[in-house]
Amino acid sequence: MKVKKILLLFIFLLVGSLTCLGKVQASTDTSLQHVKQKGTLVVGTSADYPPYEFTVKQNGQTKYVGLDIEIAKQFAKNLGVKLEIKNMNFDSLLVALETRKVDMVISGMNPTPERQKSVDFSKIYYRGKQYMLINQKDATRFKNIHSFRGQTIGAQTGSLQYQLVQQQMKGNHLKGLAKLNDLVIALQSGKVNAVAMEEATAKAFAENNTSLKVINPNFNVKASQTGSAIAFHKNSPSLVAAANRTIDQIKQKNLINQKYIPLAGKYMSNNSRKNTMWNYWTYFAKGIEYTLLITAVSVCFGFVLGTLFSLMRLSKIKIIHLLAVWYIEFVRGTPLMVQVMFVYFGIGTVIQAMPALIAGIIAVSLNSAAYVAEIIRSGIQSIPIGQAEAARSLGMSQHEAYRYVIIPQALKNIWPALGNEFITLIKESSIVSIIGVGDLMYEMQLVQSATYKGVLPIFIAMVLYFVMTFGLSNVLGYFERKMKHA
Amino acid sequence: MPKDDLMIEVKHLKKTFGNNLVLKDITESVKNGQVICVIGPSGSGKSTFLRCLNVLEQPTDGKVLFEGNDLTGISDEELNQLRQKMGMVFQSFNLFPNLTVLENIELAPVKVKKFQPTTAKAKAMDLLTQVGLAEKADQYPQSLSGGQQQRVAIARALAMNPEVMLFDEPTSALDPEMVGEVLKVMRDLAESGMTMVVVTHEMGFAKEVADQIWFMADGYIQEKGTPAEFFAHPQTDRAKDFLSKILL
Ligand SMILES: Nc1ncnc2c1ncn2[C@@H]1O[C@H](COP(=O)(O)OP(=O)(O)OP(=O)(O)O)[C@@H](O)[C@H]1O
Ligand SMILES: [Mg+2]
Repeated sequence: MKVKKILLLFIFLLVGSLTCLGKVQASTDTSLQHVKQKGTLVVGTSADYPPYEFTVKQNGQTKYVGLDIEIAKQFAKNLGVKLEIKNMNFDSLLVALETRKVDMVISGMNPTPERQKSVDFSKIYYRGKQYMLINQKDATRFKNIHSFRGQTIGAQTGSLQYQLVQQQMKGNHLKGLAKLNDLVIALQSGKVNAVAMEEATAKAFAENNTSLKVINPNFNVKASQTGSAIAFHKNSPSLVAAANRTIDQIKQKNLINQKYIPLAGKYMSNNSRKNTMWNYWTYFAKGIEYTLLITAVSVCFGFVLGTLFSLMRLSKIKIIHLLAVWYIEFVRGTPLMVQVMFVYFGIGTVIQAMPALIAGIIAVSLNSAAYVAEIIRSGIQSIPIGQAEAARSLGMSQHEAYRYVIIPQALKNIWPALGNEFITLIKESSIVSIIGVGDLMYEMQLVQSATYKGVLPIFIAMVLYFVMTFGLSNVLGYFERKMKHA
Repeated sequence: MPKDDLMIEVKHLKKTFGNNLVLKDITESVKNGQVICVIGPSGSGKSTFLRCLNVLEQPTDGKVLFEGNDLTGISDEELNQLRQKMGMVFQSFNLFPNLTVLENIELAPVKVKKFQPTTAKAKAMDLLTQVGLAEKADQYPQSLSGGQQQRVAIARALAMNPEVMLFDEPTSALDPEMVGEVLKVMRDLAESGMTMVVVTHEMGFAKEVADQIWFMADGYIQEKGTPAEFFAHPQTDRAKDFLSKILL
């Protein structure tokens, strides 16, 4: 979560500086009027961050709950309009705001200066303290920041907590992981002795797991470093002012601490009481759908591009040959993870509205193309030279010889290797979860955070991956046998 | 085209592979309707010479003219056009293993000459009947014997209506009992008036069918003549030596 936020900051810093230059200031502010006229307040959030926002199942329906949702409800009520929640990846929230798919974003978002360049923020509505999550059995050992000396502390990489541990707990080993869930698993299995995290989240974990406990180590935190605010379109002061009035009202009555967080906690323990995995099958189903979609589309593009690159590599024209060689070597010599991030954040700077899914598909396709190119090249080179000579002696051009004689035979030979690449892609495509594409890996992480169960979702995802690859390899084997008889 | 017209002219043909000068300087011509048998010791450059005739091997120097067109100095498109008229049969058959016998024969007429599939099929069946393999039309090459495969390869080349047929040791890869059936097809072809250049070790066939024997050694055509002249009275020591070594 925090990593995504940081990365998002980075992209918005770039995008923001590009777009701000060209934007003409809106002369009149009709933002508040606009919402009232529509009669609905459309709110964007990323409902995977309890207790701020998350989902519960009620009578088979998905319901959005959490303290942010309560604030949004109150705001809509004050405006006299209906509330509509749009759930999306955290990364996409500000883009959705900029492209006016939503009227506001409330998602435990920190109003950093970088974000303030592209959107307007309300007042801070909640400022949680920085806590430590520990195992219950260590409760007597760990009391404050000093009692941890020499211990291993976990924190989310790129997060505020990570910095705090680094700066204020110098005598400790720091272990950074990207996901809170993984850190909690590490805590329970004794790989780390404590995990630094934000107050509300830490309390949520402790509340749902009796073997865990929170303590306040009294970090020294600047007020500007923490706090959540609501984001709006740039230049919509009337709507911001209205939101601030609601926030004042909520603060005055201390609603967040007295009502919203306890309510969220109730939903969470409800969640964890009936958190049999079966309740989350839709998550896994959606994940499978995306994994298969990404894989299938990437296989198609990868195959077309791979054929192109293999022919380029076999070309007698030096520069074309070299281009293909460099491409193939470069792609095979760099990790897919880096390529995915480069396409999403690098190329995403130029094409701003590129969704993570498209970026993921592009990256996986480009990667696969390099491997497919080598498979096809070896397939072509395995065809005896006499085949090409026979074709040419019949008056076929080089192009026709490839098309009608060599490629069909090469394809038949490399079918097993291509099938293997397909299967590999099902597994490798799990990397796109790092940019927030909702594939099986990503959905599994959502289930982890919704159920507070670490290992079981991993096991289920593992089995599902296996079922997909095993099923596919059987299907491919069937076609392979069929082709052999032809 | 009158019978005496030159079909292929080779002028000062040279071919090197790296530092290996394989064809040193060859100037010869093939007349319309003529059957030439090229014989000579192994490694003397017979295959290379034959492959230079349809420019599967690009000559290093010199010219190869086919019906007056210099094949070494024309565009790829023109070369592809002219190659259609020069059928070639290889020692190792080179049938397309993924296609049936019939499809092997139809492929180039349909894809290159743009014949209607029905026309191409009728013609292919005619040719298969001509080489005695009509009943094998729907089989795949690997289920055929070597002799049958080579006859299919001949039919495949004939399907393009070539004006000359080039054979590179068409029977060398065959079991002895299959040599006859292939030679018979070739003999029939020669009798029908086809212009042919045949690289072969089958001296019996050469003696009987060839209009001219070209004896090749050390990168030159050392000697040429009618079979009667050549086999009875070889002129060069190289040829005498060669003939003494093969069992006639
Ligand atoms: N593609 C090639 N690259 C390099 N050298 C070659 C190539 N093709 C042929 N040669 C060489 O050229 C010489 C003549 O070969 P060629 O195949 O023409 O002889 P040949 O008379 O057909 O022999 P054989 O009776 O064994 O078929 C040989 O020394 C051979 O090694
Ligand atoms: Mg040879």
